[in-house]
Amino acid sequence: MASMVASGNRDGQPLVPKGVDPETCMIVFKNHWAQVVKILEKHDPLRSSSTLTSLSVINLTTGSSGSPRFGPIPGDEANAVQNYVEHMLFLLMEEDSGQAGAMGPILEFVVMENVMERLFVWSLRREFTDDMKLEQLKMYEMLVGQARQPLLHHKPILRPLMMLLSSCSGTAAPQVEAELVLLLNQLCCVLAKDPSILELFFHTSEDQGATNFLIFSLLIPFIHREGTVGQQARDALLLIMALSAENERVAKHVAENTYFCPVLATGLSGLYSSLPTKLEVPNEEWHCLHKEDWLKMPSLVQFLNSLEFCNAVIQVAHPDIRDQLVGYIYNGFLVPVLAPALHKLTLEEVMTTTAYLDLFLRSVTEPALLQTFLSFILLHRHESVHILDTLVSRINTPFQLGTVSLALFRTLIGLYCEDVMLQLVLRYLIPCNHMMLSQRRVVRERDCYSVSAAKILALTPSCCSPDRSPPPLRQLDSILFSKGAETPNSTRATEEDDGSGNSCTIGSEIYLDVSYLHYLYDARLSISGCIQACQVWSALYDGEDPPPEKYQPGVLEEPALTRTQMLELEWDDSYDACPVQTAEAPVESKPPQQPPAEPPKHIQEMRKTAIMLVKGTYIEENEFQDDVMVYDLVAKKDARDVERQTDCKSNLQNNNTAAAELGDDLLAQYEELIRTLDSEAGGKQVKTDAEVKKPVAPAAEVEEEEEEEEMDFTSFSAETPEPEKVQSPFGPKFCSGSVGRSHSVPFTGPFVSVLLSRMENMLSNSLHVNLLLTGILAQLAAYPQPLLRSFLLNTNLVFQPTVRSLYQVLATVKHQIEEQAASRKDFPELITAAQHWLLARETSFMAAGDNTPTSSPPPKPKAISLDRTDVFATVLFTEFLKELAAIAQEHSILSYIPMEE
Amino acid sequence: EIGQSTWSLPWATGLLLTRSDNEEQSGHGEQRASPARLPFGKKQLPPIPKNAAPITKPVTTGTPAQSANGTHASYGPFYLEYSLLAEFTLVIKQKLPGIYVQPSYKSALMWFGVIFIRHGLYQDGVFKFTVYIPDNYPDGECPKLVFDIPVFHPLVDPVSGELDVRRAFTKWRRNHNHIWQVLMYARTIFYKINTVEPLNPEAAVLYDKDVHLFKSKVVDSVKLCNSHLFDQPKIDDPYAISFSPWNPAVHEEAKERMFTYKRRPEDHHKGTQVSGLSWVKPGSTQPFSKEDGSPQS
Repeated sequence: MASMVASGNRDGQPLVPKGVDPETCMIVFKNHWAQVVKILEKHDPLRSSSTLTSLSVINLTTGSSGSPRFGPIPGDEANAVQNYVEHMLFLLMEEDSGQAGAMGPILEFVVMENVMERLFVWSLRREFTDDMKLEQLKMYEMLVGQARQPLLHHKPILRPLMMLLSSCSGTAAPQVEAELVLLLNQLCCVLAKDPSILELFFHTSEDQGATNFLIFSLLIPFIHREGTVGQQARDALLLIMALSAENERVAKHVAENTYFCPVLATGLSGLYSSLPTKLEVPNEEWHCLHKEDWLKMPSLVQFLNSLEFCNAVIQVAHPDIRDQLVGYIYNGFLVPVLAPALHKLTLEEVMTTTAYLDLFLRSVTEPALLQTFLSFILLHRHESVHILDTLVSRINTPFQLGTVSLALFRTLIGLYCEDVMLQLVLRYLIPCNHMMLSQRRVVRERDCYSVSAAKILALTPSCCSPDRSPPPLRQLDSILFSKGAETPNSTRATEEDDGSGNSCTIGSEIYLDVSYLHYLYDARLSISGCIQACQVWSALYDGEDPPPEKYQPGVLEEPALTRTQMLELEWDDSYDACPVQTAEAPVESKPPQQPPAEPPKHIQEMRKTAIMLVKGTYIEENEFQDDVMVYDLVAKKDARDVERQTDCKSNLQNNNTAAAELGDDLLAQYEELIRTLDSEAGGKQVKTDAEVKKPVAPAAEVEEEEEEEEMDFTSFSAETPEPEKVQSPFGPKFCSGSVGRSHSVPFTGPFVSVLLSRMENMLSNSLHVNLLLTGILAQLAAYPQPLLRSFLLNTNLVFQPTVRSLYQVLATVKHQIEEQAASRKDFPELITAAQHWLLARETSFMAAGDNTPTSSPPPKPKAISLDRTDVFATVLFTEFLKELAAIAQEHSILSYIPMEE
Repeated sequence: EIGQSTWSLPWATGLLLTRSDNEEQSGHGEQRASPARLPFGKKQLPPIPKNAAPITKPVTTGTPAQSANGTHASYGPFYLEYSLLAEFTLVIKQKLPGIYVQPSYKSALMWFGVIFIRHGLYQDGVFKFTVYIPDNYPDGECPKLVFDIPVFHPLVDPVSGELDVRRAFTKWRRNHNHIWQVLMYARTIFYKINTVEPLNPEAAVLYDKDVHLFKSKVVDSVKLCNSHLFDQPKIDDPYAISFSPWNPAVHEEAKERMFTYKRRPEDHHKGTQVSGLSWVKPGSTQPFSKEDGSPQS
């Protein structure tokens, strides 16, 4: 029947032709129902009045192991009922609501006669197989989706629906699950359109005092599911999350009475644990996970789906839920899972984790979730070292880990996040100790006449001078420059004029490096984007705001480390132990470290719990209990004792509800029964072995799981401080950074220091490392904050002797290049070859259409080996000078203009 | 009058190097299409024609590769250009009352301007002028300022219309002198009359001896200037300042926009993906110091 029902309308041939008058429909409907009732009553075990029949069937039927108590129902009768019902449902579906939103007559009849509930009971009366569930689910799905009048407002329709849903909880058949989630999704859509129904969803169970939100609870186990089912469940949950933003009650329920947030967060941990611990790196140039990389990794896709879902929940949900979720993600995923993963033993593992972290940062868009990730990176200490410091130190590793770490920092800097920039660079510049005292006023000065740009460009190696490059490569162009007319009366100030003195060209011999125009254009885009983004920052960082004197690192920061400790941090030697790479490791390798202890026990436990939650069936312990009970009741309907039957029967009779409306107390009876069972079981479980002769598998599993694993989510909730952490990440005050240092020794921070030292080795760095390095420095230089801008770009600023500036480093590199060029005769030719290849490489990227480089790089250059890093570095260095000079020039005109479009 | 708010840099994106429409189409189009950022380090090299044989020997050894201050001559025009752009941004920043300038389309060394005199002897005067900047700026002499119509004033040449700027800037000093100061000076002369060493002796003498006659001459001069207000600009340039009679079809909408437009930073953020983040409490230098910890919008 199910398939017929489902397909009936799709064929475009409704069983009820349009235009048939409502009265006829009503008559047909009543006739059908009368036929159905006849069959229903015939098989009623108690053969009593229809009022009580249904109750008796469900509650009291007993029988031997799952077979119907009162003998099988003949197939023709079952079919007859199905056919009638099918037709009736179409009639109901097609009915329009009455005047002023009143029920249509058929609906009214359905409600009065409690048709839906009795049909549900009928399906229970027969064997309640998966097929039966499927059939019922589809029936409701059709009704909910296609009825022309609101149905769910009516308890006689809503209640059997809820019972049906309950009975499907914990079900294992994939078909039923799929149909269940589809129906739940549909219900959520209805809820989203008409939140007034929400109250009813709560009330159906609240009659008995329990707060429950069944459709929500039922969706939770599907949160991390793959494929369509998971996606539909997440979509449906998101609809509820959006509702929670408007509805306090939903928010409160989700936050206080469900394990939604912990399941989400620990689910991340579980999914993370199934990610590959080592990535297969396509080539040496590889430095971050692009979409085409992770699309090939199903486990990573699944993780990102869940992360994206967390992101979406945080975006739409009520602040209470949002706060709870980010708390759980911090304490349930980042700290216990990601932090240890970032400190694994082998280079490849750590590199893989770093690449994951970078990908996650690029995937998260919601500020609150980003904040969580960032506060983890900036403030969390793993084995008393800040994550940030560890990450910074890894930039200096000569292996691919160094490259991947660079890519991570490129992502971090690209967030335009004040907190990140403060911790990485700005806090070292605020005190202005890095420059001579007399220089402080220079910080905010702007370079009106491009003096710094000129000085930077003057570092161009002689072998790369635009005046000496061969024409095809230097693309110089004579651009005419007209001078103002000497005489104001001139009306022809054009360059064609000759001899009139009204216009002239400036040195027609002078050619311009046209590629420089591109750099200027890019610099403009980059700086103006950055200026806009930084409008939300708290301070200008111009040497006065925040005031240098007021910066008190000692107060909130940890005790300063000594300089030597500081320098050691820059070289992260914990990977030298790795056997694979030791051969290539530089001399300063340290002896292997002690193998670290097992991860702390609570982390192991947590991981286990998380995996269990994701892979096993998840049932909420308290609130969900009712639903479990209902399921049990339904499933065990034939396994009950006769004694209990009579017990309940008398119970019923005592309640004196016999004459009440048809089946109105059905649910009440369930609940009553549950409470009885519950108290017998010591309030814990359905563990009444005496009563449950044949426990049904799913429920039993659930029970076992719950006994084995105490799901103590409170142990990592945001409110409870974690033992190893002194302060909650969301508390008011933090220790900021381990690298606070005595400000008597001028120091611009480990990040700048590491970048500059890698920059200094430009000639021996591989091409892609240099591309990343120069990219990051250019990105930093585009920040408009005068402290940063003056530090990186102002070549006139006089620094303290111990402070190294970017300009100094560039000058050193130029010197190295000049020496190299002087000692190698073939240098100019190699330069040209490198330029050609780099150009072809860029062209191939452009041709690829998008910005993602394919994993297959352009063919290796023929005329020059890629091992000639010095040659490639020289070309890159020259281009980088242009890039920096362009940024410096654009700063001189951009930083002071109010942005406008 | 023109509202003092919505200046844009006409040549900021295109660079002010002398333009012909030809260049605009080829060179700039290319440039606009280029900024797609490569994933990292989009180092840019000029395109090479295929099969172009690299020439290794340096061309023209005669010209000096580096200019006097050690920088490459090829970039000289860029420095000049940005110096002038910087000057222009300073002008904008000064918000000089009643003064509007606009660089020429054809050359950054020529700026068109207009000055509105709101009170005093020259009240209601609307004087158009042109600023000429020496091409060795900022190391040359001070810029010239020439009124389109020689206004009757002791310091304005009655024939050429040139204002005597040099008396205020005897030596043009880089870093100290800026073009906005010249514009400011041009405004001041109409409020504070100086007759020492005049370019227009007649005006100077009259001012000292017969203020009454001077005043009436000034009124005539102002009338004359204003009667030529709607004339075609003296210099044919797309960015020359031109006035036209009020035409509701053209001006009403613009006026409407000027009066209703409030510059709100948050408007700019809408639609743009780029947006910064901060959880730093103002006055604090600690990350995540904002109490609520709630994200910035």
